[in-house]
Amino acid sequence: MLSDSPSGQERTVTYVGGATIDGAPIAYVVVLAAVCTALAFIPFSVIVALGGSFPLSQAIFPLVGWILGPVAGAVASGIGALVGVFVAPHTAGIPVVRVAGAMVASFVAGTMRHQGQRGWWWLPTTVAGLVSLALFGGRAMVQNGVSLWAVAAGAFVDWSALLLYALPTRRVISKWLAGPSLGAVAAGLGLGTWIAAGMAHLVQSTIAYFIYNWAEDVWVMLIPVIPVENLLRCVVGVIVGTGVITGLRAIGLAEAREAVI
Amino acid sequence: MPQTIATFSNVSYVYPRSDTPALRDISLEIPKGEFLGLIGPNGAGKTTLSLMFNGIVPQFYGGRFFGAVTVAGLDTLEHPISSLARHVGIVLENPETQITATSVENEVAFGLENLKVPRDEIRARIPRVLEAVRLEGMERRHPQELSGGQKQRLAIAAVLAARPSLLVLDEPTSQLDPVGAREVFDTILELNHTLGITIVIASHAAEELAECADRLLLLAAGEIVDEGPPDEVYAQVERLEELHIRLPDITRTFYFLRRRGFSVPELPVTLTQGLAAIRPLMTRCDPTPPEANPATVRRDGDPLISVTHLSHTYPNGTQALCDISLDIHRGEYVLITGQNGAGKSTLVRHFLRLLLPTAGEVTVDGEATPDLTTSALARCIGYVAQNPDVQIFSSTVEKEVTFALHHLGLSSDKIQTRCQESLAAMGLLAVADRHPLSLPRGERARVVIAAILALEPEAVILDEPTTGQDEQGARLILDLTKQLHSAGKTVIVITHHLHLMADYAERVVVMGERTLLRDAPIRVAFHEPNLLAKTYLAPPQAVRLAQAIAHETGVAMPFLTPMELARAFTKGTAAGNS
Repeated sequence: MLSDSPSGQERTVTYVGGATIDGAPIAYVVVLAAVCTALAFIPFSVIVALGGSFPLSQAIFPLVGWILGPVAGAVASGIGALVGVFVAPHTAGIPVVRVAGAMVASFVAGTMRHQGQRGWWWLPTTVAGLVSLALFGGRAMVQNGVSLWAVAAGAFVDWSALLLYALPTRRVISKWLAGPSLGAVAAGLGLGTWIAAGMAHLVQSTIAYFIYNWAEDVWVMLIPVIPVENLLRCVVGVIVGTGVITGLRAIGLAEAREAVI
Repeated sequence: MPQTIATFSNVSYVYPRSDTPALRDISLEIPKGEFLGLIGPNGAGKTTLSLMFNGIVPQFYGGRFFGAVTVAGLDTLEHPISSLARHVGIVLENPETQITATSVENEVAFGLENLKVPRDEIRARIPRVLEAVRLEGMERRHPQELSGGQKQRLAIAAVLAARPSLLVLDEPTSQLDPVGAREVFDTILELNHTLGITIVIASHAAEELAECADRLLLLAAGEIVDEGPPDEVYAQVERLEELHIRLPDITRTFYFLRRRGFSVPELPVTLTQGLAAIRPLMTRCDPTPPEANPATVRRDGDPLISVTHLSHTYPNGTQALCDISLDIHRGEYVLITGQNGAGKSTLVRHFLRLLLPTAGEVTVDGEATPDLTTSALARCIGYVAQNPDVQIFSSTVEKEVTFALHHLGLSSDKIQTRCQESLAAMGLLAVADRHPLSLPRGERARVVIAAILALEPEAVILDEPTTGQDEQGARLILDLTKQLHSAGKTVIVITHHLHLMADYAERVVVMGERTLLRDAPIRVAFHEPNLLAKTYLAPPQAVRLAQAIAHETGVAMPFLTPMELARAFTKGTAAGNS
């Protein structure tokens, strides 16, 4: 509240025209895409069976979605991941999988909302996730004869992320991220990264599984590895995210229209 | 009646997440062709006002906006920034925020290409504007290879190239050497006179504003508190000093003379006016030269820092330093000065082993820097970089100041004590819980200085510490360096704001042409204008007035400050003074 009213008439402030993607200034998209590319140089875990390594940028794709919104976030992460495939081939893996995962992580994060007109975007996203899970797990069990327990345990990150996303958890996370408490922001970043990175992993695994069809032995071996990797993404996401969010709030930079934070 | 290019009608603005208006009830008309100066202390609202001309405030920042701003007939709330940019060119304080291209010439061309200027015209304009800002010959250089001042000049060149009808500059010369600053003012004055471009410039450069501006707008706490021609605004010395606003040296000199009882009907604001006003006084009073005129600086014991035949060439082949030899002793207060790109920062980075010599040797406390670790050197020498943001990474001011202390194995009580002392010395206690990036640039610089001081190093190096500071902020920092010096610390300050250093430095190291041009006591070095000119420096206005007096009287007048100069005139010797 202002202590005394200014003499001029208050006007509605809008961003008139200008270069934006879904309300996010192009400059923001470019900067965050560049950050994603830079982090693609840093490996954080090996890819079992295929070789190569995961890029650290996977930990900030959700953050990009929260900063820019679902569409601009997906574009920034997608561009960053695509450039990263070429300039940092040691973390490229299967390029299409890498780019798709980046876009999904940011998109999912950007659709975690507790208010606004896009509150319904979670529904088709959840349906798409369910379809992906059905294709992934169904192919493993029906075509490749992998046991149910191995699929359930091996895809723990995937289905837990999908479940948490479909539940009102995503709204709670959105509130935490937008709130003033730094502790709540950190919690939101951690849990939110688990969900967004987990759903990205689901989509990536579905595509990769249709190419490699790994056997039950591989499923079993991955059971302890995948959750640890996702946890690492969450830890990095919390560390980077809290610094970035507090910094952005401190400098008072204009938010992208569809930003969650 | 001249046409107006911009109109502010009852404009108030509140940034997001703030309850306090950054600007309040601003009403203003700017006629076409006017040269308008914005003055005021840090936080007065100069930058916010500058960003309103092309709609960045409020369109980009959001927040609450009251009233109306029209530029070239366009309401800045109803027209996109891209449309307003055709009429308004803006140069920001930090050039890093507006340089995007990978070469100097591409940076200049970028804006023109976006405005669809024909290719041949772009090619014709590039050399003209680069020459205007003294960057000719650097067309192919990457902007990141330029010094801070050179980057600022490039940002100005890029905007000048588009020939906007209104040019808004926010502290454009704060990082430039005096001659560079003078050239920028000359350039924009020429654009103003020859092309009729309207100029709005926020600046602490009082002497240049006094000469160039048609009108000054004095802002304080977001409100216009005074406006008028420079001689009227600067005549209110007490009020401006209360607001911590820098005055021209000439004005202060005559203000002090008036206070000493001399008749000064109107305070001059330019050197020309000052020279005209001093002559009648000289006919009635013989100015007395200062008693102390040391030809050498006292140096005891072994040097703390010794530089022997130092040369440095960067990996891209650019030679930054050539055969420099220099000793700095414990307890000295050394000013290192020289033009932008003279190698000042490169030299001091060798003291900290942030760079290693290509040839020659640098020793600290008798040990060659390659044999010392950077952390060991950091305990001995505190370094405050030119851009404070590169040294800030914590989430609160207090955490920033205590960060390094935690790594020294100190007790919690000791850490708290040192932190509180440092924050108090820098006037930051009130913002200890704030995020450093939420503070203005001047205060961010003081956060970094506080963090360095808390370490209690033996020597402190401050690289351009007064850039972006108002008079109060600059004096706060420099007064602290004086205290450190009095306490026996070695102080090294890099700056080309020579007018600020007269009360502080003892010894001046003048660099230029990649080498050391002069190493002399301040009273000697400041009175060698030809030497200073070699490295694009100019003596402070008070020194130039003293030299004019010396020229008239034939007696050396090695004064440095307005107060010294005023004291040279004694009422008792003035016959006929009223």
